[in-house]
Amino acid sequence: MCLGIPGRIVDRRDDRGLPMGVVDFGGVRRECCLAYVADEANVGDYVIVHVGFAISRVDEAEARRTYEVLREMSQLDELDWMREVADQGMSMLGSPADPAAAARETGG
Amino acid sequence: MKYLDEYRDAALVRGLGERIRATATRPWVLMEVCGGQTHTIVKQGLDELLDDCVEMIHGPGCPVCVTPLEQIDKALRLAQDPRVIFTSFGDMLRVPGSDCDLQQVRARGGQVRVVYSPLDALALATRNPDKQVVFFAVGFETTAPANAMAVWRAKELGVKNFSVLVSHVTVPPAMMAILDSPDNRVQGFLAAGHVCTVMGWTEYEPIAARYRVPIIVTGFEPVDIMEGILLAVTQLEQGRAEVENQYVRSVRREGTVPARSLVEQVFELVNRKWRGIGEIPGSGLALRPEFADFDAEFRFGLQDIMVDEPAECHAGDVLRGQLKPFQCPAFGSSCTPERPLGAPMVSSEGACAAYYNYGRLRREVGATTRAEWGSAESDSLTTDDSPLTTDDSPLTTDDSRLTTDDSLVTVPVPEVPR
Repeated sequence: MCLGIPGRIVDRRDDRGLPMGVVDFGGVRRECCLAYVADEANVGDYVIVHVGFAISRVDEAEARRTYEVLREMSQLDELDWMREVADQGMSMLGSPADPAAAARETGG
Repeated sequence: MKYLDEYRDAALVRGLGERIRATATRPWVLMEVCGGQTHTIVKQGLDELLDDCVEMIHGPGCPVCVTPLEQIDKALRLAQDPRVIFTSFGDMLRVPGSDCDLQQVRARGGQVRVVYSPLDALALATRNPDKQVVFFAVGFETTAPANAMAVWRAKELGVKNFSVLVSHVTVPPAMMAILDSPDNRVQGFLAAGHVCTVMGWTEYEPIAARYRVPIIVTGFEPVDIMEGILLAVTQLEQGRAEVENQYVRSVRREGTVPARSLVEQVFELVNRKWRGIGEIPGSGLALRPEFADFDAEFRFGLQDIMVDEPAECHAGDVLRGQLKPFQCPAFGSSCTPERPLGAPMVSSEGACAAYYNYGRLRREVGATTRAEWGSAESDSLTTDDSPLTTDDSPLTTDDSRLTTDDSLVTVPVPEVPR
């Protein structure tokens, strides 16, 4: 439940006052809330993401290392979740579902 | 990638095992309170690697497993309400309630949707203004900031058809309940890395001092866990009882302040029942009165649902470390991941499911595992046959994969008898 996945912020925007961004998890991209790391993380930085929220900033080498180890251990439960939900065209906060865009985003 | 090799290095795990064994002059009993750590420990056999010097007790570290039956029954009531789209993390779908589980309700046509983030549930509410969208807000402190934000945001945006069924629990009171119990055997703790990423570790300092137990903030990978155990054993041998941080790459003493702050604004501490353990004072989070409009229990009048836990499931004894999963009479016979009696057999982070999935069907001799890991002198195992890198169990039932969700197109829901 408390699994966190490191990813790199590739886009950052403001959604009616809420800092949001797109985070890349080794090729899978997902919109995430950046509110809790807004003062310390920007595009290019790595963050640990839990249920769609960045909860801390980590350095790039650390993030990649953790990701690779998790992948080796087949423990990317959250990423599977994310991928499946994204495949069904679920997108964030009010934007209309667009399965084609979701498929492009996830590479699947 | 040098940093990668280091953590894949089975020799490093073995080396840490040798150091732990050399440090321990007597057997010590440690508890981890994190389902992710339980999963790693059992999957990699780290406890068996050390079973001559450290006993690992798997504490109540899986929020799915400790969610009380009455909260599951409330979720089931909501999921069968034709006005409601019930949203949840995937882990909760197969947790048995009194009569059925959420997956069965969905199969019968109930609108149960798996979401990745609570903000997805909020988005669903804005897209379905004619429906009531309820989110099952479970989890430890790691998840509380996400759920707090969904409620905060719903209030800010004036989303009237969104509410949450809250079943949040917090870790430190559970640790104290375990230490206070007369049959406690725990001498030191590994604290959960991502809980502490959010909360920091200041709450743990008075516990370490009062109960004289070392508490090591620990990560999730085999090397992290072995290092956390080594730090705990070293403290115990030296007669120290302090909070120490092994998971330096993620955790700061003060935690993630903006996240803690929003949790405190949205939630307040309440007494909360833990499945199989009972009520623990101050161990839960509930919405503050100013957010009561978003409390599904009030909105749908569910406050009076009270359910006693079934006697046939020994989850409480397992969660308190009084019983190893294989010592439960139902384990592997009337209780399996396919037909679970209780939540610890459902969640991949539950102790019972971990033992079942990784073949711990009876007491096994640690020497076998030690032989599998090899000696500290042998070459590093970075190939596919390394215990660190293989997913060797065909039995793995990973409930988060049960997320083949129905489409978001709204379909008519047949009335389900209450």
